[in-house]
Amino acid sequence: MKNFDYAVAATPADAVRLVAERPGAAFVSGGTDLLNLMRDCAQTHDRLVDLNGLDLGGVALRGDVLRIGGLARMSDVARHPVVRTRFPVVSEALLASASPQIRNMAALGGNLLQRTRCGYFRDPGSACNKKVPGSGCPAITGENRGHAILGGTDQCIAVHPSDLGVSLRAVDAVIRTRGPRGERAIPFGEFQVPPGSTPERETVLEHGELITSIDLPFSALAGKSSYLKLRDRSSFEFAVVSVAAALELRGRTVKDVRLAFGGVATTSWRSTDAEAALRGKVLDAASIGGAADAAVRGAVPREHNGFKVELLRRAVTRALTDLGGVR
Amino acid sequence: MSNKLVGRSFARVEGREKVTGAAKYSADVAVPGLLHGVITGSRIARGRVTSIDTTAALAVPGVVAVYTHLNMPRLVVPPPPYPKGFLPLQDDVIRHNDQPVAYVVAETLEQAREAAELIDVRYAAEKAKVVIADAEDEIFLAPPGPENPDKVVIGDPVGALATAYKKVEGHYSSPTHTHNPIEPSATVAVWDGDNLTLHDTTQSISLVQQVVGQALSVPKDKIRVLMKFLGGGFGAKAPVWAHTIFTAAVSRELRRPVKIVLTRAQMFTSSGHRAEYRQQVALGADREGKLVAVRNISTQQMSRNDKRTFNTSESSYMLYGFPHIEVRHQGVQLDVQMAHFMRSPEGPALVGLETALDELSYELGIDPVELRLRNITDYDPVTRTKIGNDNLPDCLRQGAKQFGWSRRKPKPGVTKDGREYVGYGMSVEAHTYHARPSSASVTVTPDGKVVARSGTQDIGTGTYTVMSQLAGEALGVPMSAVTFELGDTNLPAAGFSAASVTVSSVSGSLTIAAKSARDAVVALAVADTRSPLHGLAPDQVEIENGFLFAKGNRSRRDSYQGVVGRHGRPVEGTGSYLNVPGYTTGAIFVEVRVDPVVGRVRVTRAVGAYDLGTVVNRRTAESQVLGGLTWGIGYALTEHTVMDRNSARVVNANLSTYMIPVNPDVPKVQAVFIDKPDATSPVGVKGFGETPVTGVPAAIGNAVYHAIGRRVRDFPITQDKLL
Repeated sequence: MKNFDYAVAATPADAVRLVAERPGAAFVSGGTDLLNLMRDCAQTHDRLVDLNGLDLGGVALRGDVLRIGGLARMSDVARHPVVRTRFPVVSEALLASASPQIRNMAALGGNLLQRTRCGYFRDPGSACNKKVPGSGCPAITGENRGHAILGGTDQCIAVHPSDLGVSLRAVDAVIRTRGPRGERAIPFGEFQVPPGSTPERETVLEHGELITSIDLPFSALAGKSSYLKLRDRSSFEFAVVSVAAALELRGRTVKDVRLAFGGVATTSWRSTDAEAALRGKVLDAASIGGAADAAVRGAVPREHNGFKVELLRRAVTRALTDLGGVR
Repeated sequence: MSNKLVGRSFARVEGREKVTGAAKYSADVAVPGLLHGVITGSRIARGRVTSIDTTAALAVPGVVAVYTHLNMPRLVVPPPPYPKGFLPLQDDVIRHNDQPVAYVVAETLEQAREAAELIDVRYAAEKAKVVIADAEDEIFLAPPGPENPDKVVIGDPVGALATAYKKVEGHYSSPTHTHNPIEPSATVAVWDGDNLTLHDTTQSISLVQQVVGQALSVPKDKIRVLMKFLGGGFGAKAPVWAHTIFTAAVSRELRRPVKIVLTRAQMFTSSGHRAEYRQQVALGADREGKLVAVRNISTQQMSRNDKRTFNTSESSYMLYGFPHIEVRHQGVQLDVQMAHFMRSPEGPALVGLETALDELSYELGIDPVELRLRNITDYDPVTRTKIGNDNLPDCLRQGAKQFGWSRRKPKPGVTKDGREYVGYGMSVEAHTYHARPSSASVTVTPDGKVVARSGTQDIGTGTYTVMSQLAGEALGVPMSAVTFELGDTNLPAAGFSAASVTVSSVSGSLTIAAKSARDAVVALAVADTRSPLHGLAPDQVEIENGFLFAKGNRSRRDSYQGVVGRHGRPVEGTGSYLNVPGYTTGAIFVEVRVDPVVGRVRVTRAVGAYDLGTVVNRRTAESQVLGGLTWGIGYALTEHTVMDRNSARVVNANLSTYMIPVNPDVPKVQAVFIDKPDATSPVGVKGFGETPVTGVPAAIGNAVYHAIGRRVRDFPITQDKLL
């Protein structure tokens, strides 16, 4: 861990400038992941720009969206009554994350930018393409029980750890940013970058671009949504497999659906194939089975994570069965 | 008649200091001019350092020195019990990953840390072997340890198994585990001329004094070791490890105090681990459910420099009176840091035995508790002596009753509650505690207060509290009158706080010292013309709540304060004692709920019943049961030190991905204590701390089987194994 400068941003514009002007600078809000990354030498910065003084923490109605500030704390958003009732999947995903102490500190923007828990990435003594491009990926033939079965490449199979991100894919969230080149809105589905041959690059954000808010559009779909998280212990643990599901039924027929998965993929993974297997169909064991099969189509299991294929099938089945009230 | 202190529940006397943050742990020690040490670890597991460039590290502002194998002071490799067999930084050989290759000292921790990352080390690496599967053809019969045999063979186990009415045979395994005390290891070294004071996180201050003295060629009376509080040890802090020796050495070299605190990641590579463990277990029984034979051939991970086995198998032959026995301890030397004792060394072998017994109970159609009751003995077939374990059947019966074991439906997979299947499982628990000498002093001061002292440790288990109770009880004073001092090598010497020996060992010397002080005060009283007790025979004096009375005439009354106050100076008693070793047993019963669709296991209820002799403090004893259960849940369901088989790096060297149970994973546990004094101890106690983890993994595995009919023999029982 190197010595670094610390600057407090007074305005969002100030924050953007303070980071954009220095290649080694980074924003810090809760710091719950960033400081560990710096201690573990997974990231090195020569300046941290503290965002905590900025007025970006609120949750507010803006027409047909609920706008959540990029600095809103996980615990505040999780217990917000509108989030709980109109976007239950988001509230549930947040409550299934981390520990109460971390949820009180960690900001939503930072949550989306947290880095993988891959042990090779976090170990200063191990090679990792995400950390040092071209150094290799020991996980592909190594200890990969926790790694991705979807979205991996021969460069990287690290799982994206955010529960929130998975839930955002189920509600068509939009990320609003402010950067050196102005403001923009990025559909969350386009926010993350799959590893490809550049696993070190995880989002479309430019250097110095700040997440100012997350917009959640109201919909019938989002209002009937849930998050199922399976993990190795009861709390304070990342997903082995998770499913964010949103469902709009007309009678017993699926009018629309969203299915997104955590713990199994290199990004917050939405399966349009699994959704397509349900849309327009009666929600029953057969159609759910079809969606579960579609969810794992194309999965690439490795030596130790093959069980995730079956566990994901079962998790999709359970999430849809419970959410859809299928008996 | 007396004010009983033993047997009651007392909160830890240092509890307020701990929960308010007032307690100063070793790393909290503040010394003027303190320098900070940080160790750089090797990034290969086997080979040599070919070059090491410290230029960039030395250029970091505030860096005072960088020591490598080229310029580290030459040290003497201490003989056992220093466990490692070599000292890093004395040559260029790398024997395990993260072995120290440099020790950086700087004015601040941040500077030292930055510099430690800038050391450029080049290696000639050789292919490392990491897990047992990497070296199947190098497995050998390990030599016997100082306190455990390499093999026990009695009768004809193969023949007996061949003709047994029913037999089971299985392969059981568990991965490497890491102790992970919440407090990382830390040392502060302060030299004053030729005298060294060490503040060290240790389960044995006297061992630190001895081993550091040997390594630095300093007489041990020049070394004082202090440790008031320890944030858990679990065996990780029982030996002396290299970082303590290095810190003392570089502090002497630099003539300034130096502190080191290991990182969490270094705690996975610097203070031992529980060896990866495999065992082949076969059991046979006759038609009546009498066990006829056991075979337990185990193999465990060792380091290149060591041939000791630290997971012991005595429970395989001591519990059940098998007429035919074969127990063998095999090992395999690998390029890993050394294995060591970890709460509790008897655990791994017991997991195989108690799981196999559960399997046999289904084969025989005999209830698992009944099968054990039909076979438990109190006879050690090796020493051919009584074990002192005859209350174990009572533990089984009382535990089963309290748990409601009789409600268990014998058939697995038939009890359902919602989506979950409910299973009951049980196991015997057993732990050997050894003999260690101890000494103590007890002083009654002129104000009637008592200061009891012994150079023992409180490793978080309640030593301060139970020793205060025992001293107060022996003297006849209230708890509030007693202060117990420990953790200083200037105090009367005691042994380590490991292998569950502290209470059984120190209670003896302390009680002798307290009685001696009591007798001295009584002698003063009856000789003192100003005392209302003057002229009485000493045995005509009884003491209660700090007051001395004439037997049969309570109006003739004096007090410690009165007698010693008039005497005008403190009255001291001393005592020395070597405890009798023993074997403490009990039984654990658990309920699990298993959702087989997603492979989720929850432990929802537990009852443990134990014979620990006299229960000194019910509350701290129950804490050991809760701690043991928590550890056992980790062993059974989550814990696994994951090492990359190519690089030998630990890839989960943090508490985020090395998963210990969290609060919602641990149910309430009810503890039942037989609470009968053990005849070998002057105060009736047995060593207990490590017993109540040993059977928990098997009990959980047995309950999972009972819930869903699936037997997992490879721990931990994670989701992937239940789908």
